[in-house]
Amino acid sequence: MKYFLYGGCSLEAGGKNYMVSLEPVCKALGMELEEIEDWNCCGASISYAGANELSIMTLNARNIAIAESTGGYDIVAPCSSCYIQLLKTNHELKEDEELRNKINVILKEGNLNFKGSLNVRHLMDVLYNDAGIDKIKSKTVKSLNGLKVAGYVGCQTVRPYGEYDSVERPKVHDQLLKAIGADPVPFPKKMQCCGSGIFLTELDRCLGLVKEILEDAIANGAQIISTVCPMCALNLEMYQDKVNAKFGTSFNMPVVYLTQLMAVAFGMDLKSEAALDYCVIPPEGIIKAAIGG
Amino acid sequence: MAGNGNYDPSFAKEVFENVDSGEEIKMCMQCGICAGSCPLRHEMDYPPRQIFTLIRAGRRDEVMNSRAIKLCTSCYRCKVRCPRGIPVIDVMHGLAHYGIKKGIIPRKGTAAFGGEFWKMIYNIGRIDEKTLPLKYNLLEGLVPGIKSTLEMAPMGIQMFLHHRMKLLPERKIKGIKDLKKMLDKAKEMGKGGAS
Ligand code: SF4
Ligand code: SF4
Ligand code: SF4
Repeated sequence: MKYFLYGGCSLEAGGKNYMVSLEPVCKALGMELEEIEDWNCCGASISYAGANELSIMTLNARNIAIAESTGGYDIVAPCSSCYIQLLKTNHELKEDEELRNKINVILKEGNLNFKGSLNVRHLMDVLYNDAGIDKIKSKTVKSLNGLKVAGYVGCQTVRPYGEYDSVERPKVHDQLLKAIGADPVPFPKKMQCCGSGIFLTELDRCLGLVKEILEDAIANGAQIISTVCPMCALNLEMYQDKVNAKFGTSFNMPVVYLTQLMAVAFGMDLKSEAALDYCVIPPEGIIKAAIGG
Repeated sequence: MAGNGNYDPSFAKEVFENVDSGEEIKMCMQCGICAGSCPLRHEMDYPPRQIFTLIRAGRRDEVMNSRAIKLCTSCYRCKVRCPRGIPVIDVMHGLAHYGIKKGIIPRKGTAAFGGEFWKMIYNIGRIDEKTLPLKYNLLEGLVPGIKSTLEMAPMGIQMFLHHRMKLLPERKIKGIKDLKKMLDKAKEMGKGGAS
């Protein structure tokens, strides 16, 4: 299966461990990923301050139109924020002819055209529905042996359309964790937003959200948190110090990407492929204990 | 007209016509589900349901100065749950954008950060994770700006040590000229208007 990968701005920097690990994992599962040529930023969830809806849609329509004219494969977005921006644009443009015509007038300035011929999909969606649980199980040579993982879903990963999972009771993340031998713990806050992009500007208000998520994961027995979005990972991992300082807590909870755990389970190199050394709170000890070595 | 929280009968119409997704408010039946679903409801002065009541009641000042419209994290829970299918989040963003355009929302905070974010996209087509926080922090002035940046520095150093910082500055995308033309056109054609 061939796909376009839309990594977005953060997978090249803060979310580097996501990129490093997802590439070999997808390859092992027979998925071929190609970058969208000369892609631009999706606008994330914060651009509304500087631009109107139509402008933000233009950003995403440009990326989709380039993908359509250079191969037409489905676009896979590993970042939930990119995913939602691309998905929303694709969804609304396919449904609303008037809007589509407007966008095409705009895209014409760059000799592009939106046709509505492909789908935008989250990485979890293609892992679960295209690669499939059986294949993932068959590639698992180092089971995680019941490692207790909190499969954090966050908000934009499945909301608002629920394309591949329930918006209220998502199960895909946990199913994927089970397939590699982990034991996903029940975890009521798995859908609570982490604070996202307003973190830098509204720090105090967001620290409480992160604290609640960490507390809930730990109270339910999790040894590690798995995420599927670079913003979630960043907020949950990098702000633990600030949460501890503010609330007098002593969190030191490793946060990894699902694809890092999959790389481990597929028997890949813990550094160059699973990218465990990219984590600021070291997960190696817990993971090595689980796989036995 | 708009005095201290005075009643301004034209305000609702103004929102319907000029704010992105503003007309959707007309469908609101005041059930409060959006407010109950919002993760930041305890931090908001007026949760989304109440913002919509205030708009219909012509309370311009309360709405445009409200903290709520600047706090939205874009988590989409309100949009998923609204029984009338109102894209509550889009209205909140639309109001924030409108407020900035009118100069009501201050230069510092989420709104300003988003403004810097947008400028960078417009100029190079991508976001540079290193320089964006710095540019944002400098908005509050040089000295406090440097202080805020230093407070976040330990995090940056940790990220750097774990290979999670890109060293080279982000370069312009190749199609930046065309992208600018498109964005200029979108600004002209869109409802939220020029900013
Ligand atoms: S939980 Fe936070 S980072 Fe994750 S998708 Fe939601 S806002 Fe984005
Ligand atoms: S999208 Fe914004 S307003 Fe809606 S529930 Fe989330 S934070 Fe609240
Ligand atoms: S959930 Fe929808 S109908 Fe109910 S108060 Fe909120 S916007 Fe209005």
